[in-house]
Amino acid sequence: MSAEYHEPRAWDEAVATLQEHGDDALVLAGGTAYTLLLRQGLIRPGHVIGLRRLPGAARIDADAHGGVSIGAMATHTQALRSEAVREHWPELGAALAKVATIRIRNQATVGGSVAHADPASDAPVMLCALGAQAVVVSGSERRRAPVDELFVDTFTTSLAPHELIHSVEIPGRTPWTRAAYLKYTLRSVDDYATVSVAVRAEITDGVVEQLRVFLGGVGATPMRATSTERALRGRRVEPRALGDAAALARNDVDPADDVRGSAAYKREMTRVFTERALRSVLA
Amino acid sequence: MKLSHTATLATPIDRVWALVTDIPAAAKCVPGVTSVTANGTNAYKGTLHVQIGPVRLALDGDITMTSRDDARHTAALRADAKDTRLGGTVRATVDLALREIAGGCELAITSDVQIGGRIGEFGQPVIQRKSDQLLGQFAQCLARSAS
Amino acid sequence: MTLHVRVNGTARDINAGPEVRLIDVLRDQLGLTGTKEGCSVGVCGACSVLVDGEVMSACLLPAVLVDGMDVTTIEGVAAERLEEAFITEGGFQCGICTPGQIVSAVALLMAHPRPSDAEISDWMTGNLCRCTGYRGIERAIKKAVGE
Repeated sequence: MSAEYHEPRAWDEAVATLQEHGDDALVLAGGTAYTLLLRQGLIRPGHVIGLRRLPGAARIDADAHGGVSIGAMATHTQALRSEAVREHWPELGAALAKVATIRIRNQATVGGSVAHADPASDAPVMLCALGAQAVVVSGSERRRAPVDELFVDTFTTSLAPHELIHSVEIPGRTPWTRAAYLKYTLRSVDDYATVSVAVRAEITDGVVEQLRVFLGGVGATPMRATSTERALRGRRVEPRALGDAAALARNDVDPADDVRGSAAYKREMTRVFTERALRSVLA
Repeated sequence: MKLSHTATLATPIDRVWALVTDIPAAAKCVPGVTSVTANGTNAYKGTLHVQIGPVRLALDGDITMTSRDDARHTAALRADAKDTRLGGTVRATVDLALREIAGGCELAITSDVQIGGRIGEFGQPVIQRKSDQLLGQFAQCLARSAS
Repeated sequence: MTLHVRVNGTARDINAGPEVRLIDVLRDQLGLTGTKEGCSVGVCGACSVLVDGEVMSACLLPAVLVDGMDVTTIEGVAAERLEEAFITEGGFQCGICTPGQIVSAVALLMAHPRPSDAEISDWMTGNLCRCTGYRGIERAIKKAVGE
């Protein structure tokens, strides 16, 4: 294989190159998933489009409301070390810090993690719970899409073939916002999650105003624990009710048997870790 | 890898049976099939395109009807395909059974799929999920086409 | 395409397409065989190198991504104290993981000159060793800090 390598200097140039080569082109962000797929012989692109020279692609900014924008080409390490994330969304930083090892975090990008849509990965699950939006570039157009609507299947997003993720935007927070990411690994600490749980809650006067609960590793995409959310949203926080609410999450997941656990085990761990996650933000 | 799917059709059993045993017509119901041509008696050649994320497969293969019982409404098929892009193989045996129920009929499909070579790198869970999807879509499409 | 990379302080012109990994360039093109290929999937850490001071897996890094950057391998790290400590504290036996361990430890001490036990543990996670049981490696790092 001897593919042609492109390093566009502008976003619309990147999109145009993608469009020109269609099926024969693949995008290269950090390169971790790309290298693995290449070595496995599962991809054989004729054209590789590297995004590292795109202006502002790794930029990380915060606004006055604690909203943070993370450029698609920012690595996990750049994101978690950034002042914006440390100050406004340390829980996201903590979630990113749980990814694999320092070497992977130094290389893999946040945008790449979203675009690759590996259901066992960490960033997508946490970004879904936080209510993040992806800024998507298609030509000279930009549109925003809720991250939780991007994931349609294993390794599959709803992005059109020529579209690129420009950045992810995490909304602002209030003094009564709580968030957490729990990752359960079975074999070694740097593994993918057997089950992971991401929670974002807004609690005022002891009442759960908003609640988002997403799970990783237990379906083809990050799975939303809508049953759990419904049981708790709008109600006073009752420590005794959290166990039952967590148990409902078992109905919202679709785990598969694999080396990280049987489907039945993952379903049970969904209950266990959803309860722990709920207790960490609500109790 | 064993797969199974059932679909309920509000259509007379004979009409569904006619469609199901007409391989080129039934093949149109498999998402990603781009061509099916006759290649002898009860034998066909076809191409199936499957995509999982950035990975694209082009499965070129032979499909043979290995048995058929019009009275019992059962049939068996065998498919042997090679992926022309990455070099893996797929072999499948498919058992079809139709039975009459109130208001129509029920189609039961069971399949035994063997994946060889590169495609196996995906791992069982992803392949199983994709195969289940294809089978489910096939069954639903048959139900729509037969009515 | 031609890449311009500074390897261990020396400017190099490297010929590599997007399918070539940094480890291939280091070992095959530049003869820098100190960087070892252990697992080929970025898990074991034997291929750890520094890119602009950040530790990465050379087996996972497309060479095209280090165009214009500084790459430091085991042959080029300034780590005399660390290497001495590895010898005195039993930080290696067969030596296959050692280049990766040293490069990772160098990066750790650049980022955290006085690392806590937790920081050492977290940073060095993923530099696997089949021989020492890790305690010798930890002792070596602490000894290098202590002096």
